[in-house]
Amino acid sequence: MPMKVDIISEWTGEIGEVTIGATKKEGGSRCAAIVIGGGSGFPFLGGSAPGRKPLIAFEFCDDPKLWSPIVTEFEGDVVNDAGAWAARAEERHRPDLLRFYLTSTRRRGFQEFSQVGRSVEEVLERSTLPLIVEGSIDPAIDSETFLRCGEAGEGERLLLGTAEEGRYRSVAAAAMAYGHSVIAQSPIDVNLAKQLNILLRETGVPHDRIVIDPYTGALGYGFEYSYSAMERIRYAALKGDEDLAMPMISSAIDSLNIKEVREADPGQRGEMAVKWELYTAVSSAIAGASVVCVRHPDTIVPLRSAIDSLWGKTGGGD
Amino acid sequence: MALKALDIYKLLPKKNCKECGEPTCLTFAMKLAAGKADIEKCPYLDEEASRILGASTKPPIQRVKIGVGERSFAVGDEFVQFRHEKTFNHQPGILVAVSDLWPDDRIQDVVREVRDGVLVRIGTDLRLDGIAIRCESGSAEEFSRAVAAVEAKADLPEVLMAADPGVMEAGLSVCGAFRPLIYAATDENYQGMCALAGKFGCPLTIRAESLESLAKLSALAAKEGAPALLIDPSATTLSDYIKKATAIRQNAVSKTVPDLGYPIFFDTTVTGMQDAALALGVDKYASVLVCDRLSIPSRNALLTLRQNIYTDPQKPIQMNPGIYRVGEPVRDSPVFLSVNFSLTYFTLQGYLEASGVPCYMLVVDTEGYSVLTAVAGGKLNETLVAESIKKTGLESEVDHRTLIIPGYAAPLSGKIEDESGWKVLVGPRDAAGVAEFLEKEWKK
Repeated sequence: MPMKVDIISEWTGEIGEVTIGATKKEGGSRCAAIVIGGGSGFPFLGGSAPGRKPLIAFEFCDDPKLWSPIVTEFEGDVVNDAGAWAARAEERHRPDLLRFYLTSTRRRGFQEFSQVGRSVEEVLERSTLPLIVEGSIDPAIDSETFLRCGEAGEGERLLLGTAEEGRYRSVAAAAMAYGHSVIAQSPIDVNLAKQLNILLRETGVPHDRIVIDPYTGALGYGFEYSYSAMERIRYAALKGDEDLAMPMISSAIDSLNIKEVREADPGQRGEMAVKWELYTAVSSAIAGASVVCVRHPDTIVPLRSAIDSLWGKTGGGD
Repeated sequence: MALKALDIYKLLPKKNCKECGEPTCLTFAMKLAAGKADIEKCPYLDEEASRILGASTKPPIQRVKIGVGERSFAVGDEFVQFRHEKTFNHQPGILVAVSDLWPDDRIQDVVREVRDGVLVRIGTDLRLDGIAIRCESGSAEEFSRAVAAVEAKADLPEVLMAADPGVMEAGLSVCGAFRPLIYAATDENYQGMCALAGKFGCPLTIRAESLESLAKLSALAAKEGAPALLIDPSATTLSDYIKKATAIRQNAVSKTVPDLGYPIFFDTTVTGMQDAALALGVDKYASVLVCDRLSIPSRNALLTLRQNIYTDPQKPIQMNPGIYRVGEPVRDSPVFLSVNFSLTYFTLQGYLEASGVPCYMLVVDTEGYSVLTAVAGGKLNETLVAESIKKTGLESEVDHRTLIIPGYAAPLSGKIEDESGWKVLVGPRDAAGVAEFLEKEWKK
């Protein structure tokens, strides 16, 4: 029986592309302009349009008191200087992107907006990787915070986060005014993700400036919902739903705070953090995330090997 | 062709004996039609009926049981490609490899770890499943010694890994009665291996590089009388595995290539990156995973991922509204308002538990929305809170009348006080701050 068994693919839709970062030639100062997304198929299955290999973002912040002590103890004093932390992450941890959280804005009654702009500028000065910036999470200070972020990164084609239903206008406005893209986060639901993308479009944010964040619950704390939400979003996009055909970003931000990691035996806590992040990020990439984010520096090397091995030698082929 | 529930019902004995575990033959028929019951559970089927029903209710991927007793497990019996289409039914068994080159005590250290190691999560005991015994000596005596060393310590499911049917028979003569999985039949040795599988009544793994050869070999093995099969597409890289496993699953569930309708075997030790391979195997269709000894962090992450992926997605993401207890709260313990989005609930519950302060959680029905979204969309409002306090009988549980609401619900605090008559304390926005909040603000 001479038959050939192959992957069955019946898709017509394509995943859109988003560019993060601008080089000197393009008016920025990043080492590269990275394109994420693209392709027409499920991740890692090859085919004629395999899209792009998922990228790794390293997350850090400007107020380490609001960061996992597992990471701040591992990194040492450098965490008290966001610019220095960015430089060190780029040089030693070697991610593809940096994701900078302005955790300082999360303190009650935060008003030091000029510091927001200065922090973003400092990170841009001390590093060359394309940058994702996470601003405030409070509608009362969103407008001012995102304005400062957007302004400080003008020309750098940042990815700005995070827009949610009910508080997306400030992020969108800053992105549009200064040429950045937007992370659109919805609570683990295909329809809500689509709805937010439509709202953003109506505000004037084009599809090629939106990255979907379906919200990633930590492993053991709802990760399965996020995993399936990502697969469903990808599936809908491949079936032709253009309002869901954006690349996705996944960050299980609670991973290092959950009981299983936080209360692990002190001798194993670091490894527990790394394994928790690794199993989550590998699975998120398999479910369709174009950018997977981690906080423990030691997660990056095994995660990169995994993604390389999943990708194969020639762009999703063998 | 799939039969409808009523067609199946006509073939059943209609005794309503309940011996299959269902209350009536009709409910059993409905479950069979949905692929959720096993026809063999009916003890009174006549031959003709069992022939018809056996073929038509057969899942696209064969169900295979490995091992006997308490720790035995079944795999296969899957119907869908994506878990969101319905659910994945049988989680993969994870078996830790030992070598017949090792002395008994080294083998038994691993056996004890698998036998006794347990991770308790949300009320469930999560464990690794068994032992894979690998013949690296080439000697039948050494192999049977290693099998005996495993048997001496535990009744765990086993995979016997040897290429030579003579060596395999030596292993099976020690443990063949306990339904170990035979690994593996290939082009070269399949007749010998199939004969052993038939003789000992054990499931058999067949291995080939290409999916075409796998399909061909599985048809041959079935003809030779092997009672139950697994298939190993011999992947050595993650890329190779995800493509082959996806093609097998698609062609099996669509019944395009029925000869690939068997559970998948994945030996992750050959990939050189065990953690990632195990995560991939759990996510994408592996039914038996073989790995080297795992550190506790790897084991815990793996078992948790497997529990997550094999949770039924048809179960809602919502908690039942009501009163939940953290620790053993008493009449003056604090009460936290929360919403019925399960991630919100679990996150808050985790931090409350860590705070060490026993308390109550009043979970109200926001249709599964998180606090921020529920406040913005009006799903979380004072009427709902006041009604929930009454309906749950919270006022007879505690003597005080103070409700701690999430930071993001702060705009509702006045209205909740007016509507419910309770005093409102605004808690932190981020659940991570509850321990500090309790320390500073909960002083009465």
